Amino acid sequence: MDCREARPLVPGYLDGELSEAQAAPLRKHLLACPGCRSITQAGKTIASWFVDEGPVEIPAGFAARVARRALAGDTGERWAAPLEADGDLGLRGFVLQLTAVAAALVIALSIGFRTMSLPRTDDLRADDFSLESALEALDEMNREPLGEPSTSKADESPELTEADEEGRRE
Amino acid sequence: MEQAPELDASLVREVLAGNQASFQLLVERYQARLFGLTRHYTRNAVEIEDIVQDTFLKAYSRLPSFQHQSSFYTWLYRIATNTILDFLKRKGRSPIHAVEDPEAATLEAPGQGIVRPDARLEREEIVEITHEVLRELPEIFRTVLIMREFEDLAYQEIADTLGISIGTVESRLFRARARFKQKLIQMYPDFAQA
Repeated sequence: MDCREARPLVPGYLDGELSEAQAAPLRKHLLACPGCRSITQAGKTIASWFVDEGPVEIPAGFAARVARRALAGDTGERWAAPLEADGDLGLRGFVLQLTAVAAALVIALSIGFRTMSLPRTDDLRADDFSLESALEALDEMNREPLGEPSTSKADESPELTEADEEGRRE
Repeated sequence: MEQAPELDASLVREVLAGNQASFQLLVERYQARLFGLTRHYTRNAVEIEDIVQDTFLKAYSRLPSFQHQSSFYTWLYRIATNTILDFLKRKGRSPIHAVEDPEAATLEAPGQGIVRPDARLEREEIVEITHEVLRELPEIFRTVLIMREFEDLAYQEIADTLGISIGTVESRLFRARARFKQKLIQMYPDFAQA
């Protein structure tokens, strides 16, 4: 084991986290290497600053008091937001809920109207417009003499015909 | 952190079955450890009591969700740590965040070394200095140092409590110790190694 392999293992060694298979070669290296030994010593020095403070003082009747509160339904969530703490929404909560419901309704309606105005799949189908019908329409156009207006559209549209007649009378 | 898990499991079952006295027994078993843990974060006796009380109350209300996958104390310890950190955050007393990447541990030898506490220092003085230095460290460093050096938690227990990997625990501890030394020398230059 060389220094590059040894040094990352030192903290785990000091914390007792290495397996014997890892610790044995490290111990051997530390005996031979003053540099790594010094780093290991420095690691031990830090631990000497974390001394035990001694027994802690517990207020009299603490456990009984906590047990009573727990049984009374205190969940200890005193740092939670008031709305979550007691489940009572109050006027502000009611208004917020109402606003949320109204907003959801408006969004749903707008999506619904938008969907209705969109062309349906059937409207976009091109099946009715066959090549045959297109050719027939072309033939008919060819049969009509040039210069004569077509009357076919006017025949199909009574309103247009009446308007035309009125125009003529005038 | 192993604390007679069979007895704990039995007490937990009794509490869930409606035996209210068993909960008081659980509190009595672990109150000293939780008071000890909490006083590493705050020196105010009223705050310590509030935090420990809230930890037990939360534990009671969440007991039906305890799955026995870890020991009861590991589970309780996790609730305590979160309660402490929440409390400090709300009090605005945990404003220090690591500027550098806390996991970017370098393997070079750390800078200047420190000496052992002076033999003339009283235990209380050492405790006071150490906590003063800890208060100046970013929360993630302070937490792993407390867990490892004061609470003597194994890497796996720290990893389980904080929800991080063992590799992260190793690198964070390495970094935390380097920062502790650096801050101690900065605040108390007399403790720098000559």
